[in-house]
Amino acid sequence: MTDSKYFTTTKKGEIFELKSELNSDKKEKKREAVKKVIASMTVGKDVSALFPDVANCMQTDNLELKKLVYLYLMNYAKSQPDMAIMAVNTFVKDCEDPNPLIRALAVRTMGCIRVDKITEYLCEPLRKCLKDDDPYVRKTAAVSVAKLHDINAALVEEQGFLDSLKDLLSDSNPMVVANAVAALSEINEASATGRPLIEMNAPTINKLLTALNECTEWGQVFILDSLSNYTPKDEREAQSICERITPRLAHANAAVVLSAVKVLMKYMEMMGQDAEFVVSLSKKLAPPLVTLLSSEPEVQYVALRNINLIIQKRPDILKHEMKVFFVKYNDPIYVKLEKLDIMIRLASQNNIAQVLSELKEYATEVDVDFVRKSVRAIGRCAIKVEQSAERCVSTLLDLIQTKVNYVVQEAIVVIKDIFRKYPNKYESIIATLCENLDTLDEPEARASMIWIIGEYAERIDNADELLESFLDSFQDENTQVQLQLLTAIVKLFLKRPTDTQELVQQVLSLATQDSDNPDLRDRGFIYWRLLSTDPAAAKEVVLAEKPLISEETDLIEPTLLDELICHIASLASVYHKPPTAFVEGTGGLKRALPSRSGEEDASVMATGGASASVIPEPGSLIGDLLSMDIGGGGSTAGAGGTGNVDILGGGLDILGGTAPSAPVSEPLRYDSEESNSTDKSNAIRNTVIRLQSTNSLLGDIFGLSGTSSTTFHIPPKQVWLPAPKGKGMEISGTFSRKNGQIHMVLTFSNKAMQPMNQFAVQLNKNSFGLIPAQALNVPNIPPNQSLDISLPLNTNGPVQKMEPLTNLQVAIKNNIDVFYFACVMPIHVFFTEDGNMEKKVFLATWKDIPSANEVQFTLENIECNADGVSTKMNQNNVFTVAKRHLEGQDMVYQSMKFTNDVWALAELKIQPGNPSVTLAIKSRALDVCHSIFAIYDTILHN
Amino acid sequence: MGGVMSYFRGLFGSREMRILILGLDGAGKTTLLYRLQVGEVVTTIPTIGFNVEQVTYKNLKFQVWDLGGQTSIRPYWRCYYSNTDAIIYVVDSADRDRMGISKQELVSMLEEEELKSAILVVLANKQDIEGAMSVTEVHQALGLEALKNRTFQIFKASAIQGEGLDEAMEWLSNSLQAKK
Repeated sequence: MTDSKYFTTTKKGEIFELKSELNSDKKEKKREAVKKVIASMTVGKDVSALFPDVANCMQTDNLELKKLVYLYLMNYAKSQPDMAIMAVNTFVKDCEDPNPLIRALAVRTMGCIRVDKITEYLCEPLRKCLKDDDPYVRKTAAVSVAKLHDINAALVEEQGFLDSLKDLLSDSNPMVVANAVAALSEINEASATGRPLIEMNAPTINKLLTALNECTEWGQVFILDSLSNYTPKDEREAQSICERITPRLAHANAAVVLSAVKVLMKYMEMMGQDAEFVVSLSKKLAPPLVTLLSSEPEVQYVALRNINLIIQKRPDILKHEMKVFFVKYNDPIYVKLEKLDIMIRLASQNNIAQVLSELKEYATEVDVDFVRKSVRAIGRCAIKVEQSAERCVSTLLDLIQTKVNYVVQEAIVVIKDIFRKYPNKYESIIATLCENLDTLDEPEARASMIWIIGEYAERIDNADELLESFLDSFQDENTQVQLQLLTAIVKLFLKRPTDTQELVQQVLSLATQDSDNPDLRDRGFIYWRLLSTDPAAAKEVVLAEKPLISEETDLIEPTLLDELICHIASLASVYHKPPTAFVEGTGGLKRALPSRSGEEDASVMATGGASASVIPEPGSLIGDLLSMDIGGGGSTAGAGGTGNVDILGGGLDILGGTAPSAPVSEPLRYDSEESNSTDKSNAIRNTVIRLQSTNSLLGDIFGLSGTSSTTFHIPPKQVWLPAPKGKGMEISGTFSRKNGQIHMVLTFSNKAMQPMNQFAVQLNKNSFGLIPAQALNVPNIPPNQSLDISLPLNTNGPVQKMEPLTNLQVAIKNNIDVFYFACVMPIHVFFTEDGNMEKKVFLATWKDIPSANEVQFTLENIECNADGVSTKMNQNNVFTVAKRHLEGQDMVYQSMKFTNDVWALAELKIQPGNPSVTLAIKSRALDVCHSIFAIYDTILHN
Repeated sequence: MGGVMSYFRGLFGSREMRILILGLDGAGKTTLLYRLQVGEVVTTIPTIGFNVEQVTYKNLKFQVWDLGGQTSIRPYWRCYYSNTDAIIYVVDSADRDRMGISKQELVSMLEEEELKSAILVVLANKQDIEGAMSVTEVHQALGLEALKNRTFQIFKASAIQGEGLDEAMEWLSNSLQAKK
């Protein structure tokens, strides 16, 4: 026997039994059966198989049975959409039943059956019911229209049901009006176009207001809600509506009260702020809101969330009601926290004493969350009410003395904000704060403390020790703390550079090398780069003047606030989020407050542009408070700092960790008095260098002049300072080496209309310590004249490693201005004449230098042989130590010595007939290798 | 003695006879139903679904189901077949074009196992309309001569005018009682 037997319908079992009972002749038995079916349905059993049988029981005189069958249909019509059509005729009949209850029942159920196929059949009965004599049927039908609209909006519009609904707005029965309003607003909200399908007008509003006083409380809520969507045409209309709504504020139902508040809040926008009417209305709004706070906690919470919005929009309404927001000992925590929030918002100079004493009391309660928020509240009071700052700080100090761990931590967090708000006022308490350093274990508190130490590093003698103590556990810290620590140490370094180099180096390497956090690494690299290229800029960025923090950091953004005001008494006002944020598919209408004048066109109103005050988004402010350091630093290097370039190079050497043996860098010096004008536009110049190094072709025009006379390779002159940048002075130049001295060969061209004189030159610190050996001796240059000059240079100047090594930054002054430019020096001018190494020494040195310091290059298109190479290089102070013939190729070993006594060794592999030559360079200072290769390449192609 | 028993049975014991009124849409099923029930002509709209009424005829109680005849609803007739005692198949005699479809529906319905013992009454309705097919024509068009093993009878009728219904019901009651 196959398993198919399991799939054949059995004639036994519960379903079968029910089926036969449903088909029984006896009404009593039938009714029992339907009840059993409904019972199974409610507990979740699938009884959809009985659909035809239950549907067949539909036509009965028994109301109870009918209700049960309808219940079943609502539940299963969707799973049996085809069979559902069999129920249509019964609905049609029931809609004509003499009993209004049955008519209403039928029309309600019809609305609940969400089957596309049958909706069209239901239109006729629905139309009849909308015009029914009985108000109960009409009000039920009104809601059914909204339901039908949800299933098939086009059908509803086609069939003219919207107009029927509109007619119901002037129905004699208030309940019908209320339901019609509810249905219309639901349809409007769902409208895909975003435009209301039915616009209210003054007569309809008038009818609504009449119905308002007579209908049930929920009907009132519907009417009030739709009133809040209406925009009165002028101030007078708004006033008269407000007057008729005001009595609703005394209603016992909180929903009615809040809905009325919503309408009033919205309409008040249309009136002048100081209008007498607004003032009196504001007075009337306070008592009902206060009354809401005596209801059960859940209602209180909803009321508080709404009040929170209301006082942000109109602080005046509740300004005298501070006391009702004082926390009661038996309030649930959510009410307590919300009350605290409102207390802070209401705090002002007048009531601050009262508020502070309350807050101090709260800070000694047992509930940790509440205590924390209370401590924070004290800080916020200090920031908000300037006169109370002193008192708040002393209160906070008292609290710190309690040594209760979480109190201390919260206090430190808020004191950070107070420092921020009132700089240089309360720093005397830093010592007290530092005493508690060890007890801080929360990231926010630690970060705040670190911020304070960094910010006031110059006043805390042992700031470096304190920060260092945090550094030990750097890896285990929270990101917030790590970031803050990084910033604080950089601040400390900028303030006290002498003894904190190691610390900053340590933290930078921890942040950049040992961290997986991209934020931390990025910030580390930014600081590193800043410090190594331009500490003046770094100082300006890191120690920038911070913008003052605003009073309230958690205000809701005005446009959002306006939107939320329109949603008072709904979930949106409790969440403080627009409905679109948590309800799917509400892309439709965005509610906005009416504009004040009432003259602006609708599009302006739609954007909620009523409020003109600009408050930054809360997020940005909070972010600012948290990071505090990097923000605000909009200024860049170009602004003309007073710092010294020295720190750059030294910093790089130390920080870079590459510790090149070659250019012996001076010990790190930090000298803030020395004002070196050349560092003004470092960043700009760096880019110029690159431009010029690629623009070498330009110089070829001038090139031929200098090179022919000597065997020493002199690169062609390049334009270092183009005339437009030099205000008419063009400078081109190159470098040469004569009699053991480096010369800068310059051509000055005056392309301006006036003579130039009073020339002076200055070189920035550079990799080889190049400085002018004498003053620049340039006489007066008349317009359209040029002058060649050779400036001898010495190599005993201050050293600072440049990137690339051969960078030289030059400042030339004349009677017009000071000009800055950069040029690239050919490295061979630094090769000294005594660079010929002895063979043995060469061999030993070659072996001695680790192979890591060997760099290989390939020189292409070399046309000369080994001897030619030797000759050419010898003329440029690159000396051939030895030559060998090995396996068909010539090996040439060469040595060269730099002015700063750094040696470089080279090995050339030359295959006769092969234009490619392999060049291996070994030096303890690896940095020079590339420049050496470049000069080989240049010289051998010359 | 037996007569007395049968009298009592007729009074209390007899269960309601279950009768289906079927036929194509617009054949006059709903009009027939209400003609039988209240004796009047009511205005009807196409039946999307069904009507069910109790009809008493000469002390016999019938539970009469009038099912919609539209193409979309015909597939659901089968849900009503079980325990059916009799079928009244209504044909629009004036609708010559769809006589074939009517025949198909009738034939396929009669093939159903559940309707094996059901008595069939065919009503050639709308005889009042000029140019309507006669009973014989309808009989032929539906292929009733081919029916075997079936208690059936065809009547000419006009539900609007109330003609022919009494004869049909008379015959039906007798047949039903005879079957018991």
